[in-house]
Amino acid sequence: MVEREIIRNTYSVCPKCLRRLTARYVRINGSVYMQKECPEHGEFSTVIWRGYVDMDDWTKNAGETGDEGNPNCPNDCGLCSYHAQDTCCTLLEVTDRCNLNCRFCFADNGDSPDPTLEQIRLWLNKLAKPGKTLVQLSGGEPTVRDDLPQIVAAAKEAGCRYVQLNSNGIRLAEDEEYLEKLAGAGLSFVFMQFDGTRDAIYQKLRGRRLLEIKQRAIENCAHYNIGVTLVPTLVPGVNTHNIGDILKFAIARSPMVRGVHFQPVSFLGRIPELPADDMRFTLDELLIAIEEQAGGLIKLENIIPSRCNHPLCGFHGNFVVMPDSIVPLLHRERAGEGCCSPTTADKNRAFISRRWQRQSQGKGNSSCCCGKEPDINSMEYFLRRVKTHGFTVTAMAFQDAGNIDLERLRWCSLHVFDRDRFVPFCSYYLSRWQKQ
Amino acid sequence: MEEKKTLTCYRCNVELKAQKTYFEYLGHSFHADVLRCPECGEVYIPEDLAKGRIAEVEMQLEDK
Repeated sequence: MVEREIIRNTYSVCPKCLRRLTARYVRINGSVYMQKECPEHGEFSTVIWRGYVDMDDWTKNAGETGDEGNPNCPNDCGLCSYHAQDTCCTLLEVTDRCNLNCRFCFADNGDSPDPTLEQIRLWLNKLAKPGKTLVQLSGGEPTVRDDLPQIVAAAKEAGCRYVQLNSNGIRLAEDEEYLEKLAGAGLSFVFMQFDGTRDAIYQKLRGRRLLEIKQRAIENCAHYNIGVTLVPTLVPGVNTHNIGDILKFAIARSPMVRGVHFQPVSFLGRIPELPADDMRFTLDELLIAIEEQAGGLIKLENIIPSRCNHPLCGFHGNFVVMPDSIVPLLHRERAGEGCCSPTTADKNRAFISRRWQRQSQGKGNSSCCCGKEPDINSMEYFLRRVKTHGFTVTAMAFQDAGNIDLERLRWCSLHVFDRDRFVPFCSYYLSRWQKQ
Repeated sequence: MEEKKTLTCYRCNVELKAQKTYFEYLGHSFHADVLRCPECGEVYIPEDLAKGRIAEVEMQLEDK
């Protein structure tokens, strides 16, 4: 007998024409699907949650807006008055060009000419809230621009507190002089695409062998005290069995590596084919894979559903890497804040910058101040160690035309700056599904 | 000559001594040397410790 239950109504879009539709979360035999019907293009169903983890428990602290939202959503983006979350991070595209041609690319940028440095300077002055903004320089691949160090400097001059680079790491591995300039200009940290610990994975997803390049990029960034967070795009059958190895690789390279930020594949931008449910990797599949593959290093009880955004958007875990273990700092049952309040974008930004930015390195920080074995229970040692060897395990599940929940979108804090407006990431990159 | 400052327990009238003391918060336990009465165990937490290291530990342990 099929057990079927409608658990929530919301709004979404048609994947073919992007018109706004009513949609439902439906639980069928333990898994949860988003189902919707377009008057022109028919019925659509996308798996949201497999049911390995209790979804009701995971989403119990989701923010409530108490209203139906903007009837034109997502067409009034920029941000409309119904948007429920402030900007945590601002993404700024600085080029359409790239030095790879990946199978999956959320940006799938075209051939527009690069904006000039002066144009970018104007944008930075518009988007920056002095002393607060975390700007992510993105593309395309930003490091194809020779003047990227000047862009970083411009971001700092505009008052951006943190400047993050989203990069595949190729130029960071091959051009140390360039990296030195980026560091000198004030680059804060790098988010580096990192799909796995085996070259076959890169060959499949990125079209070339890249593991050695990724390792070199991490080491080069370390020379200049630039923290690197590894960002795997998780594609079933390609690298979802490598999750444990990715975590072990990253932990072994603390403090050069600040964490791992998992991104289950989403069907935005350039996609090799239209997705069936077996091509999706849900957040609860990722949670189980972490627990099964990470050999006891990372436990689910230490992973917290996203609070800055909607719980279905991702999670975070906060750890300290010790010489021969990894110590969790958060516990879901004891997370410390009022159980019912989503966290603010400002608090979220303060947390991530505390973890992802490397502190200046002192010597001998692996030992206790008196030269004895490290004692994580010493307040002095803990405060020193958490600053140098803090480690995050995070995830972000971007929405696409198949699964986008416009109510969930209202809680988005990752905003793309587009000329003069802020647009939530998933609506900015939302694209129609067409046969490739 | 610099005057040596001491603190005395108001109950026991005994000088407080710096001792390894454990603090627990959100399932974690940390120790620091703080002034304690050797008789009754009463601790003295100076303002700079409370607003400094202890506040920092709380921040690191709380969920953002």
